[in-house]
Amino acid sequence: MIPYDMTADDAGDRLANFEKELLVLPAVKSYLLPAFHLAQERLDWLPPESIVVISSHLRIPLSEVYATATAYSELRLEKPQYGAWYMCTGVACEAAGAQRLIDAVDIAPEKLGRIDCQFLCSLAPVCTDHHGKILGRLTADRVRAFFMEDIGD
Amino acid sequence: MTIQHTFLEAIRQESRRQPISKLFIHKGTCGMATDIVSVCEELGIIDMAMSLNAEIIETSCDGRCWAAPSVTVQKIDDAGAAYSRRFDRIDLGIDLEEFNKVLDLTTVHNVFDDGVTGLASRFGQLDGSLLAAVELGAYSVAEKVFLQDQKTILSKIETSKLSGRGGAHFPTGLKWKLAAQNAGPRYLVVNAEEGEPGVFKDRHLLEADPHRLIEGILICCYAVGVEKAFVYVNGQAHKAIESLLTALDQAKNYGILGSEFLPEEMSVDIEVRAGAGGYVCGEESVILNSIEGERPVPRFKPPFATDQGLWGMPTVINNVETLAAVTTLWQDSPPPTKLVSLSGNVTRPGVYEVPADGTLSWNGFLLSAGAELETVPALLLGGPSGIFLPRDKFEERIEMKNIGAGGIFVLSPESSVREITNALAGYNERESCGECTPCREGTIRLTKLLQQETVDLEKVEELIEVMEEASLCMLGGMAGRPVKSAIENFPATWISVDR
Repeated sequence: MIPYDMTADDAGDRLANFEKELLVLPAVKSYLLPAFHLAQERLDWLPPESIVVISSHLRIPLSEVYATATAYSELRLEKPQYGAWYMCTGVACEAAGAQRLIDAVDIAPEKLGRIDCQFLCSLAPVCTDHHGKILGRLTADRVRAFFMEDIGD
Repeated sequence: MTIQHTFLEAIRQESRRQPISKLFIHKGTCGMATDIVSVCEELGIIDMAMSLNAEIIETSCDGRCWAAPSVTVQKIDDAGAAYSRRFDRIDLGIDLEEFNKVLDLTTVHNVFDDGVTGLASRFGQLDGSLLAAVELGAYSVAEKVFLQDQKTILSKIETSKLSGRGGAHFPTGLKWKLAAQNAGPRYLVVNAEEGEPGVFKDRHLLEADPHRLIEGILICCYAVGVEKAFVYVNGQAHKAIESLLTALDQAKNYGILGSEFLPEEMSVDIEVRAGAGGYVCGEESVILNSIEGERPVPRFKPPFATDQGLWGMPTVINNVETLAAVTTLWQDSPPPTKLVSLSGNVTRPGVYEVPADGTLSWNGFLLSAGAELETVPALLLGGPSGIFLPRDKFEERIEMKNIGAGGIFVLSPESSVREITNALAGYNERESCGECTPCREGTIRLTKLLQQETVDLEKVEELIEVMEEASLCMLGGMAGRPVKSAIENFPATWISVDR
């Protein structure tokens, strides 16, 4: 998904659509995390505008909404790099050569992030592609092939 | 009560076994991560199966993650008996002649029945429908249990000695009883956060057999008097969430969650909530805050959740596996088993159901998973709050109290205990929620101390003691556990400061 960009032509429409869907959620505090998920699903991150909209709908002070969002490691408060991949660097993946894979594939660092565990340790080493698809039992050749395909897309 | 029997029986009638060949394609997270779809296409096995009139069934991983991508052929004979044969690692090739022979209903049975029983018995056997689950026994325990009164059920859970499978091993019967004796409304929270690196058994359970969890939830809600249950699932476990939501829809549509199946005056609403990361989000009081819309930080205890949990009301918090295990307690001799997630230096990593009553040794288990024992210097049991088990202790028996949530990483000769310990310390530092000082500051200092070339072990031990005593939750309290275990079992790894 292309991350929401407030300067893009479709920014107004995307935010309005998100707000429309948000209104379906009950306006009670308990729905704060589901509201965050909805924003991230639709906009790919939590831009400041989305925090304002959530605060208003759930009637929670803006500072509290923001503070809570910062406490979840999977919520993105900065616009993500489009098309980034994530290599798992958990114990099993490290042992299976995750770092060697990162070194072996010549990819810009911002295009290949790291995550602590993808919870598929039985198929280590593992990474997640830019569509969120998990790829297991990786080799350097396989990662390079995926990236070539990705660029081809 | 007779109506309930008729109700479930009607579902069973709808799916009565017919003589047929079935091709199960293991399309769980493991299969998808190893390109099962394109591998099947390349091999042409789906077309082949269809030409033999086999039913094609998309199913989950059966726990044998090492075999992915894999398919299973099942034949059901005239007497309704099932025989199955799995084809492993089909990305490396498949014996098409053998595949054809096994699939062809006209050939004699040359396949075997795995005979798997227990918690994982339906893994990789279901097609995602409620009918298939019911046919293989889903909801049959609840059907019987609903004929008993709540007191009898609570007593049964207590005498079964079932304990929490999330790692803390608190007696489940006592927890239910404590919540039941407080005035309602009462809540149930299912902890499916599973944010501990190296543990993936709950995801498999949710993907493979979500109806087992729902059945466990219904039994708990009936016994404790709960009307609202939340299932708090790790936000990254997309397939598990999808599988659970589908199963809940099916249960609603078939009336399993309604008055047709539930005892009189019982009603229950089950809501799924996705988490958003953080190891600390698996801590039970953090989940309560998260569901309420508060910051995900731990609460002071006491009060305990059974007295004052969600919105200050009595709340039972159980791990996914604990509730699933409830459905096995009414068998003739319920197996005290534990699901474990095995990874690392073994030929067959995956999800295993092991006896956890001291009847199996680590040696025996590791050999069954294809480990070459002489190449295994140690095991890491339980991830960032776990312990190292060195090879000279592999003769010991597997017991529930030693395996935490069930994450088992097998080290190789190339593994560095020190590097792994430092990595775990770094993980705990990053994951600390910052709510209490001993954990927030302690994890930072611990990481720094461990990174020194010569480590001040005395200082490390003092720091760990403070973190154990004073941290608000078990993330801080147990962050020093792998460090202590590494120092104790591998003293030569550390060059201590000369005092």
